[in-house]
Amino acid sequence: MNTLMRWIGIAVVIFIAAPLVIVVPMSFSTAASLQFPPPGYSWGYYQQFFSDPSWLRPAWNSIYIATMNTLLTMALVVPATFALVRHKFWGKSFANLMMMMPMAVPHIVMAVGYYSYFGELKLVHSKLGVILAHTCLSVPITFLVLSANLKGFDLTLERAARSLGATPGQVFRHITLPILKPGLAISALFAFIQSFDETVVAIFISGRDAETLPRKMFDSIREEADPVIAVISTLLFAVVFAGLIAPSLIKGLRRMAKGTPSK
Amino acid sequence: MSAYLRLAGVNKTFGSFTALGHIDLEVEKGEFVTFLGPSGSGKTTTLMVIAGFEQATKGEITVADQSLAHLAPQERNIGIVFQNYALFPHKTAAENVYFPLQMRKVGKKEGMRKAEEMLELVGLAGFAHRLPKELSGGQQQRVALARALVFEPDLLLLDEPLGALDKNLREQMQIEIKRIQKRLGVTTIFVTHDQTEAMSMSDRIVVFSNGAIEQAAAPLDIYHRPATRFVADFIGESNLLEATITDAASGKAQSPVLGEVTCGAEGLPPLTDGQAVTLLIRPEHLKLSREPKEGRQNAQMVIETIVNYGDNAVVIGHAGDQQIRVRVPGADVVILKEGDSCHFSWTADAVFVLDK
Repeated sequence: MNTLMRWIGIAVVIFIAAPLVIVVPMSFSTAASLQFPPPGYSWGYYQQFFSDPSWLRPAWNSIYIATMNTLLTMALVVPATFALVRHKFWGKSFANLMMMMPMAVPHIVMAVGYYSYFGELKLVHSKLGVILAHTCLSVPITFLVLSANLKGFDLTLERAARSLGATPGQVFRHITLPILKPGLAISALFAFIQSFDETVVAIFISGRDAETLPRKMFDSIREEADPVIAVISTLLFAVVFAGLIAPSLIKGLRRMAKGTPSK
Repeated sequence: MSAYLRLAGVNKTFGSFTALGHIDLEVEKGEFVTFLGPSGSGKTTTLMVIAGFEQATKGEITVADQSLAHLAPQERNIGIVFQNYALFPHKTAAENVYFPLQMRKVGKKEGMRKAEEMLELVGLAGFAHRLPKELSGGQQQRVALARALVFEPDLLLLDEPLGALDKNLREQMQIEIKRIQKRLGVTTIFVTHDQTEAMSMSDRIVVFSNGAIEQAAAPLDIYHRPATRFVADFIGESNLLEATITDAASGKAQSPVLGEVTCGAEGLPPLTDGQAVTLLIRPEHLKLSREPKEGRQNAQMVIETIVNYGDNAVVIGHAGDQQIRVRVPGADVVILKEGDSCHFSWTADAVFVLDK
């Protein structure tokens, strides 16, 4: 039984990791189109990616849109989460439902909606339009992560700080914010990734001026199967992976600097 | 001498629920007062009203004749130790203790020096740079105490601070808290539902029940001269027996279970003939014997259960419908058997009288 479970586990891991095993080698390929296994290896497509404006422009667009999306999402979701977790008010469960709505509605439905609605508002083919649409899509996951953090926050800490002489503003700055910092960082990271990764809405409304990287990749694979796509995939994977292991890496380095062994 | 902390007619309602009826209380400067009562009796609500986390619906609270009514919690200069300590997890022990000084604009260098001095006072000299999660429960407790005292508060409030500690550590912390409180002379209110804790630490105990004060008095007064049946029942073990006063002048009463009883404890309330009362006799004031004892008042009971504690034992028996508890020295238990019939006896000065 135990061995069987282990083999199933290994099979699942291989299945999940397979796309990476294929994509990473292909990014170093010498072939003219996507081909596996590659006939030879070189840095060629990396050079091409970093020197071709038709690839770099969508990359910058994506970074810009994801950044603005993260700022806007956090500005909206942080106060909303505090209100929804800590206070009772009329229409609270409806507000809760609306926060989660974009997660329940299929992206293609949202995309069609934005396409016709933003068209009226002259927001199609603009970065602002994509930022607004992505913000809407980022709200649920950001809210979920943050509200889980806030629900676990011990309110006695704020009372203690008040009794020790802190005004509500000082309590937020010295106690609440620092303790919630990891949760805030993770929810912001989720908002960023959600936008950077989003393809369906981007295909519908980003157009030539606000073209994002996933959209460009989609166009490119349809037209020419350019191996640069494998380069981008590899780079994205590397960035996300770095983002995920950074916290534990920093912790480990700090501990080494302090010279105390981990518990 | 006028009271330092004064609660006058403090009332607190939540909707239609009355959490505090009408609380009047005066506390002297430097006094150690314990709020004792079962959960939901109003002791913690009273504490929260004093701290400013709950607003009194009616009534007034003053400290040194200054009303607290319009002061926010952070303006009241009251140190609080919470049940779960509420240490800031991202700050070291010293930074936690420095926090109230930081809020009072004390510079980092001087503040940290004071914080470390305070940690030394509570016996945590070497632990200043540890995070709360690197400290044991008892050590966290001490940090919380240091943090609540470092800014020289007008009042120190402790909300069941020892609840989470095991028995030995509890007793050690009781002594420690008392020592520090005496040394600093800070007026202290300690909330607990543990009567032995209240007995051993307090200058005065305030017994709460159903949002009202049942009695406020010194520990031994509370024990020997309870004001109400609730207090007699809640503090220590007790035998409570129905009776009617037959001769108020000589303290004679007639009880269905005990027969004629002479009530002669110190500090008896005024009695009138024919008054229906409750007699209180503490289990340790009763003696068991095979035959009636000379010079004592006697009655008979049948032994039902014997609960052994080693150095002493409680013998629970029945006299008619009335349960009787007798505390006897541990060595005496060996001659007693469940089902035995025996005599229990008392003297007049062990019988206290309560209003029915």
